[in-house]
Amino acid sequence: MRTLKLLSTLFIFCLALTTTAQTAEEIVDTYIENIGGEEAWNKVESVKITGVGKQGGQDYPFVATFMKDGRSNITIELPGTSLVYQAFDGETAWGMNFQTQKAEALDSETSLNMKNEAKDNVEIFLNYKEKGYTVEFLEKTTLDGTEVNKIKLTKTPVMVEGKEEENTEIYYFDTENNVPIASESVVKSGPAKGATAQTIMTDYQEVEGLYLAHTIIEKFNGQTGLEMIYKTIEFNTEINDSIFKMPKE
Amino acid sequence: MCLCFSAFNVQAQESKINGEAIFGDLSARHIGPALMSGRINDMETHPTNPRIIYAGTAGGGVWKSNDAGTTFNPIFDEYCQSIGAVEVDPNSPDNIIWVGTGETWTRNSVSIGDGLYKSTDGGANWKKYGFEKSERIANIIVNPKNSNEVYVAVLGALWGDSEERGVYKTTDGGANWTKILYTDQRTGCADLAMDPNDPNTLYASMWEFRRTGWSFESGGNKSALYKSTDGGATWNKIHNGFPEGQLGRLAIAVAPSNSSVLYTVIEAEKDERKGLYRSDDAGANWTQLNNDFGITVRPFYFSRIVIDPKDENVIVKGGLTGSISRDGGKTFKTLGNMHSDIHDIIFDINDSDRIYAGTDGGVYRSWNGGTTMEIVENLPLSQFYHISVDNKEPYNIYGGLQDNGSWYGPSRSNGGINARDWNSIGGGDGFRVLPHPTKNIIYSEMQGAANVWRYDVDNELVKTIQPLPVEGHAKLRFNWNAPMATSEHQPDRFYMGSQFVHKSEDMGNTWKIISPDLTTNDATKQRQEDSGGLSMDNSGAENHTTIFTIAESSLDENIIWVGTDDGNVQVTKDGGTTWTNTSLNIPGLPKNTWVYHIEASVHNKGTAYAVFDGHTMNDMNPYVYKTSDFGKTWVSITTPEIESFARNIQEDYVNPNLLFLGTEFGLYITLDGGKSWSKFTNNVPAVAIHFIDLQKRTNDLVLGTHGRGVIIIDDISPLREITPEIMTKKLHFFASKPTVMVDQGGFSGSFGAETQFVGRNPSRLPQIKYLLQKRHTFGKMTMEIQDMEGNKVSTLSPGKSKGINIVNWNYRIKQPKIAKGKTTSGSVSPRVPAGIYKVILKKGKDTYEHNIELVYDANAGLTEIDRANKQEINMSIYDMTQELAYIVYQIDAIIENEDTKNKLREKLQALKETLVITTGDNYVGSAEPQLRELMAQIFSKIAYSYDKPSANEMENLMIIQKRFKKAKKDFEKLKSKAKNKTIDLKSFEDFLND
Repeated sequence: MRTLKLLSTLFIFCLALTTTAQTAEEIVDTYIENIGGEEAWNKVESVKITGVGKQGGQDYPFVATFMKDGRSNITIELPGTSLVYQAFDGETAWGMNFQTQKAEALDSETSLNMKNEAKDNVEIFLNYKEKGYTVEFLEKTTLDGTEVNKIKLTKTPVMVEGKEEENTEIYYFDTENNVPIASESVVKSGPAKGATAQTIMTDYQEVEGLYLAHTIIEKFNGQTGLEMIYKTIEFNTEINDSIFKMPKE
Repeated sequence: MCLCFSAFNVQAQESKINGEAIFGDLSARHIGPALMSGRINDMETHPTNPRIIYAGTAGGGVWKSNDAGTTFNPIFDEYCQSIGAVEVDPNSPDNIIWVGTGETWTRNSVSIGDGLYKSTDGGANWKKYGFEKSERIANIIVNPKNSNEVYVAVLGALWGDSEERGVYKTTDGGANWTKILYTDQRTGCADLAMDPNDPNTLYASMWEFRRTGWSFESGGNKSALYKSTDGGATWNKIHNGFPEGQLGRLAIAVAPSNSSVLYTVIEAEKDERKGLYRSDDAGANWTQLNNDFGITVRPFYFSRIVIDPKDENVIVKGGLTGSISRDGGKTFKTLGNMHSDIHDIIFDINDSDRIYAGTDGGVYRSWNGGTTMEIVENLPLSQFYHISVDNKEPYNIYGGLQDNGSWYGPSRSNGGINARDWNSIGGGDGFRVLPHPTKNIIYSEMQGAANVWRYDVDNELVKTIQPLPVEGHAKLRFNWNAPMATSEHQPDRFYMGSQFVHKSEDMGNTWKIISPDLTTNDATKQRQEDSGGLSMDNSGAENHTTIFTIAESSLDENIIWVGTDDGNVQVTKDGGTTWTNTSLNIPGLPKNTWVYHIEASVHNKGTAYAVFDGHTMNDMNPYVYKTSDFGKTWVSITTPEIESFARNIQEDYVNPNLLFLGTEFGLYITLDGGKSWSKFTNNVPAVAIHFIDLQKRTNDLVLGTHGRGVIIIDDISPLREITPEIMTKKLHFFASKPTVMVDQGGFSGSFGAETQFVGRNPSRLPQIKYLLQKRHTFGKMTMEIQDMEGNKVSTLSPGKSKGINIVNWNYRIKQPKIAKGKTTSGSVSPRVPAGIYKVILKKGKDTYEHNIELVYDANAGLTEIDRANKQEINMSIYDMTQELAYIVYQIDAIIENEDTKNKLREKLQALKETLVITTGDNYVGSAEPQLRELMAQIFSKIAYSYDKPSANEMENLMIIQKRFKKAKKDFEKLKSKAKNKTIDLKSFEDFLND
């Protein structure tokens, strides 16, 4: 049943895309429709993902929880222990210091930027207009040999070292399936500031009627940094609210 | 209906090999060097944010700094890398950036541009705005009150006539352009300035200039300085006070603090009338102030005046050393020590003590008004004329650089290839550098073979060995970039080329001329003492009618190919006794086109490839020919896919149809002997590639670029297997050589080098390479490594791109399950034993298999028995580690069970505290190590050592094993007292797989 559904969806993509050139809005709208539709996605209150991060030959199992209201928690397993890598309670972003294993608030600029991006927790393109985002069609091109539509997404401005900067990402929608297979953005802060980071999305699979990439690869200057492989994705499960709040000592 | 069309399109595309659909993960790495950087053409500030600075480079694209010039990032890699001008729109400085391509300091080795570009998102994306034939753009100025009004100064073609020159204007943001100032086909706009208080007032310097392969001419009656006060509608010459007679290149600058004050630097007929002129009435009258060497030197190369934005009396002039005046231009002193040849300078927008200079050796910063300068260390802009490689492990790359001497450095180094890994091997401008085929000796040279050095590396002995004029022969004519060659047949043989071929059988100690003059010997192209125009410029850069390339066949030492800069392809089959000029009737090739490279085939004695470069005759077409009959006939192997002129070709050593072409705008690859070419863009910018070499042992393609240093594509061997048949397969695994599990290690302390460029190392891991016909987007695709009995060893993430995918395996098994404690203990993943392993790739319903082989590193000196013992010990600790983890898991579960009695709980807790750390942190608050930590320590020590376990290590391990045995026993005793029926304990297997 699942296979049939997938195939029929692909067939719809094909029909939808062999027509004349599309606008950015059409590409994004078709994408949302194809991954389950706006209505179904708007019913998602929480997403809980378990998976494995692979970096430098090591596996790091993780549990990531994202709430529609912006709260989030990413907990990773290190050899022999686990720690909250990053969490956000709606106002404050925090994480555990590796050395002391105690929770520490991230800098206020990061909290502010996370607050601005919290509305992307469920799906970045969902309700993008209501979020104040804009999309622009740049060109039809190829990415690693695959034909793609290149779309620029402009989001809420980001604060960088005290100054507000434009916040854009480039998305490459595979023209055959009309799903993003990669995105690119310029690193805004830290030692790699100014360099381009690329995210590759593959292994789209259906979960409860919604389609999501199950493998996410972060590349930097063409080199793979982190690979995330999702094992399970659960929507609207019971979530313990306390995981988002920074614990007191 | 739609499906039918799709099928048709696929078939149509498959008739030609589309490289972009194949190259996939085959990606290049950049190794610099950056320590000497490369030539900068133009620099630009952001009008309100002093942290942002742009560098437009001569051959390496546009770089942006976000940290006030501490470090830079490239933002223009996909486009022409030769930059003339960068302009930030003052109305929208965070978003709109204009880039005019084509460098404007017109030395002999300049590249070309291909138009005007604009970004509206701070440099993330670019769009072309015409001017495809402009070749060089000198300035772009945006009206500070209107983003749609932009002026562009087009210097234009250097090597021939062109009408695409002068000043252009748009009033609609670049959609339409009007030429508003034009002189003739030889005269372009060299400099353009706008009155900061009145955007309708413009100043334009027009320059009559021309270069050929053998001469340069600056100046004429058409050179002039113009002013417009109506936005470019009308122009008037403003020469009141100017020198008499012809004029050459003129610079123009308007003082930001007082727009009545202008400066110009004038190249004139008489030396005493050259130099700096000032106007205090907006150009109505001019007064000469200074004609010092620093002001008048080489106007075609240095003609930039920059005025302090806060003080019209502080001005800086580009030059050999750069000069600064603080008295309104009356007197100058040189800028602080830095690389010579300063092309542009910018002042920080807020603090004039902070100055940035763009030189032939990169960008320099000053914090004290230019007195002391420091180099930016992460701009790998080195401009190689030539590269070569040796066969050491790791192999080295050798090459010579524009104005930056000659160097060699390794293809791999601990922690990446750092500045300190590069070694100087020659001064002046560097060109060809060749390692001796068998000895640790290097040949290098400087311009015009004024010195050819032979360097004995082991004994640090340097000798100059250039051929000197001898009785009975004409004066020797060496090219600026003189050819040299070694022999695969006679290691001590060494060739040099003037107009003759010089051969030495003793590494340059003695020379014999083995040819007549192989050039056209056209006397009209040998008048370099007259070159330069108004400013004589006889540097040797225009030496012509010379030999430019020499290639001895690797199949027959008597076959030598020679190419000359005036179009001759000469071949001898008898070691130089007789020569035949084979280029007299090459179809489609204009006469006298420069022979840039000849590649003698390794597959067939009579086969060679010749690359001709016509750009110095204003011909930007690629000319690449192949002969299979010693040059009797030549066939063109270029196709319309190649965008620009080419300089170098590299033949594959295995597949004769696999060829690599270095062009002015990047690398092209053919898989079908030249029937079709594909541009390779995976981390290879659209940079000029002057030379290519293929390392025979590693199959690494090494590119010597003229602007982005050395770029390497590791192991191109998969391309050898590509055929139309393979491309129809859903998935094809490429053959792989056995991989050594490297035992070597080292240190790479890098404090103090945080802002330096570091070149990327190649992977030394086994790589699983396969071709995917189509990108995998939907559904599962997995990869597993199994031993030959089918036991899972590791799971990997397979690549899913269309084309070649490369997956690394670190030849380690999955890390063991670790007992949970308060802190992390680190984990050890032991290596698998050497042998053959199966790769199982599952894609949807299909399963694909491939074998890879791992071998031990012989350098470690371990026997097979040592290896087997070590493997056994490793696995015993691995198993013990997991057993301990299971015990701790059970202890936690029993403690947490509400039915467990407190006394038992306390005993279990006490036991646990001896098994894992339960307090403290991962830093200085760490607790005393317990069994888990001690186990991890000895595991790490043994598993990560190249050596077999020592007696001391084994004794230590015995203590731990003993302690573990006791702990296990203690736990079993306590466990028997627990109410296990009420606890849902996982089995050991389930625990491991969780």
